[in-house]
Amino acid sequence: MTKKKKVQWFWMWVIGSVTLRLILVYFPRNLNLSSRPEVSTPLTSLRRLAEGYWLKRSSMSPYAGSMYHGSPLLLTFLGPLTVTRIEGQPDQLLCSLVFVIADVISATLIRAAGRSLQAAYSSSLKVIGLHQLSETSEVLPSGDFAALVYLWNPFTIIACVGLSTSAIENLVVVLSLYGACKRLASLAAFGWVLATHLSLYPSILIIPVILLLGYGPDAPPRKLFQQRIKLEVGNSSSIGSNNLKEELKDQSSVLKVFAWRLVVHFFIWILLWSSYVLVLCGIYLQKHGGLQELYRRTYGFILTIPDLSPNIGVLWYFFAEVFDFFRSFFLMVFHGNILLMIMPLALRLNHRPCFLAFVYIVISSLLKSYPSVGDSALYLGLLGLFSYELKDIRFSFLLFAGYVGVSLLSPVMHNLWIWRGTGNANFYYATAIAYALFQVALVIECVNCMLNHDRMVTKLTTTKLKDAKS
Amino acid sequence: MFHSVICSESRKLIAQYMLGLDAEVTYHNFYPQLNQFHPLHFFTSPDSSIISKNISCASIGMNTVGIIRAPRGDGKEAIVLVTPYNPKKVVLGEALSLGVAYSVFSLLSRVTWLAKDIIWLVADSQYGEYSSVSAWLREYQAPQFHRVVVNSETCNESSTIEGKLYSGFRRAGTIAAALVVKVAEDGNHFDDSLNIYAEASNGQMPNLDLINIVNYLAVHKQHLRIKVSKMWSLLGSKWLNTLGVVLECIGQYARRLNPQWKFGIPANEYVEGTATLASSMYYQGLGVPTGPHGAFRDYQVDAITVEISPKVSPTKMNRHIDFIFRGGRLIEGVVRSINNLLEKFHQSFFLYLLTSPSKFVSVGVYMIPFALLGAPLPIVAASLYMFSSKTTPQAPVASEVDFSLESWKWINSAKKVFVIHLWGVAVSLLPYFLCRIPGLTPTNNLTVWGSFAVLSLVILFSMLGYPTSVAVPSEAEKREWANLKSVTLSATFIGLSLMSVINFATAEIGALLIVPFCLMARPLMLDIQARSMRTLLLATCNLALGFIAFPPCAFLLLKSAFDSSGGYNISDYWNWMESLWAWNSATYLYIGIVHLPCWALCIHILFHPS
Repeated sequence: MTKKKKVQWFWMWVIGSVTLRLILVYFPRNLNLSSRPEVSTPLTSLRRLAEGYWLKRSSMSPYAGSMYHGSPLLLTFLGPLTVTRIEGQPDQLLCSLVFVIADVISATLIRAAGRSLQAAYSSSLKVIGLHQLSETSEVLPSGDFAALVYLWNPFTIIACVGLSTSAIENLVVVLSLYGACKRLASLAAFGWVLATHLSLYPSILIIPVILLLGYGPDAPPRKLFQQRIKLEVGNSSSIGSNNLKEELKDQSSVLKVFAWRLVVHFFIWILLWSSYVLVLCGIYLQKHGGLQELYRRTYGFILTIPDLSPNIGVLWYFFAEVFDFFRSFFLMVFHGNILLMIMPLALRLNHRPCFLAFVYIVISSLLKSYPSVGDSALYLGLLGLFSYELKDIRFSFLLFAGYVGVSLLSPVMHNLWIWRGTGNANFYYATAIAYALFQVALVIECVNCMLNHDRMVTKLTTTKLKDAKS
Repeated sequence: MFHSVICSESRKLIAQYMLGLDAEVTYHNFYPQLNQFHPLHFFTSPDSSIISKNISCASIGMNTVGIIRAPRGDGKEAIVLVTPYNPKKVVLGEALSLGVAYSVFSLLSRVTWLAKDIIWLVADSQYGEYSSVSAWLREYQAPQFHRVVVNSETCNESSTIEGKLYSGFRRAGTIAAALVVKVAEDGNHFDDSLNIYAEASNGQMPNLDLINIVNYLAVHKQHLRIKVSKMWSLLGSKWLNTLGVVLECIGQYARRLNPQWKFGIPANEYVEGTATLASSMYYQGLGVPTGPHGAFRDYQVDAITVEISPKVSPTKMNRHIDFIFRGGRLIEGVVRSINNLLEKFHQSFFLYLLTSPSKFVSVGVYMIPFALLGAPLPIVAASLYMFSSKTTPQAPVASEVDFSLESWKWINSAKKVFVIHLWGVAVSLLPYFLCRIPGLTPTNNLTVWGSFAVLSLVILFSMLGYPTSVAVPSEAEKREWANLKSVTLSATFIGLSLMSVINFATAEIGALLIVPFCLMARPLMLDIQARSMRTLLLATCNLALGFIAFPPCAFLLLKSAFDSSGGYNISDYWNWMESLWAWNSATYLYIGIVHLPCWALCIHILFHPS
């Protein structure tokens, strides 16, 4: 009964958020969001996409003139929509509708992933004998919660109304995670290939996706299961019930074993999908330099950071200031920064692959070359998935106030610098640094809180085990 | 008809004079724009293209523009001289200002050192000086490609002038600086003096160097007295004079101790400085430009208005030539100084408050008191947050089933604060709709506005579940106010720091009003229950502060304190607010979205049942 009520209430909120977006879509002139540096980066701007489409239609390379840097697939998909105008309607209405739909689909996928995560988590808690904890973990509908956070997050709304293609990038990332949670290798591979193709950074998500496929969704540390099973096997052998023994052995095999077959499937699907995508891109760019041009203009553009126009990230200012002969060194340092954190985190959080994916997304959106608020929208939405584990997070209010303050202050500083001329770049960059700091604080606190939660679970199980033994 | 003949004749005369100097002359037609409310004007780039259609010929304003091309320049930069005049009713002061500008213009058309083009804009001020200048600037900086269809074709009379007159809009290079030249109507009986007006919209100031140039040349070369506006009522105030004397004494004493310490200033200088500072802050805080120079600042052009105020009224003046000569020398000097600049003025001197024409308080200094005023807000918010989130002692064993979202308790308060801020947005948007209804007096408008605000607030509180029950509240409910206050303080802090970036003066004045109340606010019930002298004093203090911080009360109190003309009417408040939003001042948004909601929340805390 209560569950049904919750569902109704959920769809009301979804409809509300869609209505809000549609209302905002009708005032594009007044808000002028699509030209804000927070929303549209060189990679996600729809205006650049329209330009690329125009170039392509006049049989030039869409990458001519360093205007467009996205995928050719987006061009074929969104390009025709940028030129169709409906009389009396806002210019980019169809594209906005596509982004709104993408947001809603992402939200429903997050919700479904959250539900399966929650069910898996509570059952795994039951397996290690923490029945009470498993009951409380189901109190919060974290999937619904995450979906609503994603939909109602002002960042998501702004990115969606501001005609940034990050809505679609987020959708494919979520699709990949959803596929991995549901253990659908083909879907996960599809999402991962497209996400990597669209924005490169999600390629690091291959580790959490493999872990998700191999070990299954987030669970308490694996050694707890082993201890528990050892104990139960011991108990059952003393009782001597053969059936139970078999059952437990089955359980243990399900929990412990890495599902190699699924992972192999996943890799085969990756091969298939990526060759498919590359063939399509190759056909599209046949006369304009082919795949080499594609890599140079998309991945090369992301990695070498030639566009230093201000954004909410920390790299543009740095690379505007750095001496030219140090440039390649610092490029390596900054990109290595992301790669450096992959392994330690993967080792520490390998029992929680979904959370690991969240942490990766935060880190990459922090150190991205062209970040926008759309990236923050994604990880803030995913944050909701762990609302049960992270309920004791510290500094939540400080982080919230910081995010609000910075996101209000940043446009004002930009205005002061660009339009009024009374400030300078340092004013704006200061807010970018503050924003980065809050992101760092957020990810540190989240990981800290998650590890504390693990410790709590470990403590509870060991005390229980001791009780059971004595 | 007669008027229009005079108009066209005087315009023709000016054009002919300009043509006589070999200048490029054009007319610029514009259509006076009604003041419209753009709540987000601050964030949008200044190219909003709003055109009112179907304007009759009679309501067209016509600027006359003359351009001298610099013989040595590359035509990439220009200096603008503006003389506003009303062709329908030419007064002697305006005629004199035209004379001053013409003398400068004629000189500049002959000099060889000119490196920047000179534009002389004779602004048609029959619809206000600001709107004509801003219309010309809009056309200059952001041309519109869809023109207004004018009903009759008789508006174009330019063809009647002999000589070549350029059709279409003429441009010179980017505008380096602009000077608005005016001559005051009535004499000031003391001395020839010069008033400087510099405040543009939202408290933006032109570069200080421009003021310095004018100040230096006027004082040292032309021996004019320079004046910036002052709060006259402060000059006579007893307490300020006493304070000045005390400070002077302290300064003298300090100097006696150590001759290096030179912070003491004479009492009268202190009082004058304070009066100037107060006026500078007031006009910056108002966010309404003090003259046509304000239009330039929107395009990052430094501009000031110099108003030459002669000793005797121009009507009684004997030697007009002498006056024009003196004024012209000053303008020539300023133009020459700007002309010789190779770069733009340095960008670090935009944020300042004037204490006298030659002294200023820079951003590095004036931010300190504001930061000190604002700093308690986050500190108190943090301490209250800690206080409210202190868990009631429970058995720690129950941690397994403990499902109180202890660290997310602020969400409820944040929701409340957010809703009240939304209410603030609704309240500040209402005048936009009220103005559409014709035939309402200011008092009526204010009544409708106020009653809507109160009604919606009451409805909101009933929806949010205002705790009205007299039953003994639980421990958690008792702490709720602390949590709410902590979130309120954070919101106030964010709002104030945001406003201090947009318009410092507003933030400073607003902080003086709201910060004490925010910090002091605590439930009256607590104070009354305690019944000690201290708590009762605290309660009265809170009520008094709450009264003062209420925007209309604050307005009327300040008005009665500084405006000695008397006759205070509540409808003044409406007029004041209307002028604020008509000028798209960010102060209006500050009052509606930051100040009022924070005040309402503090009042809510004050009457919280605890």
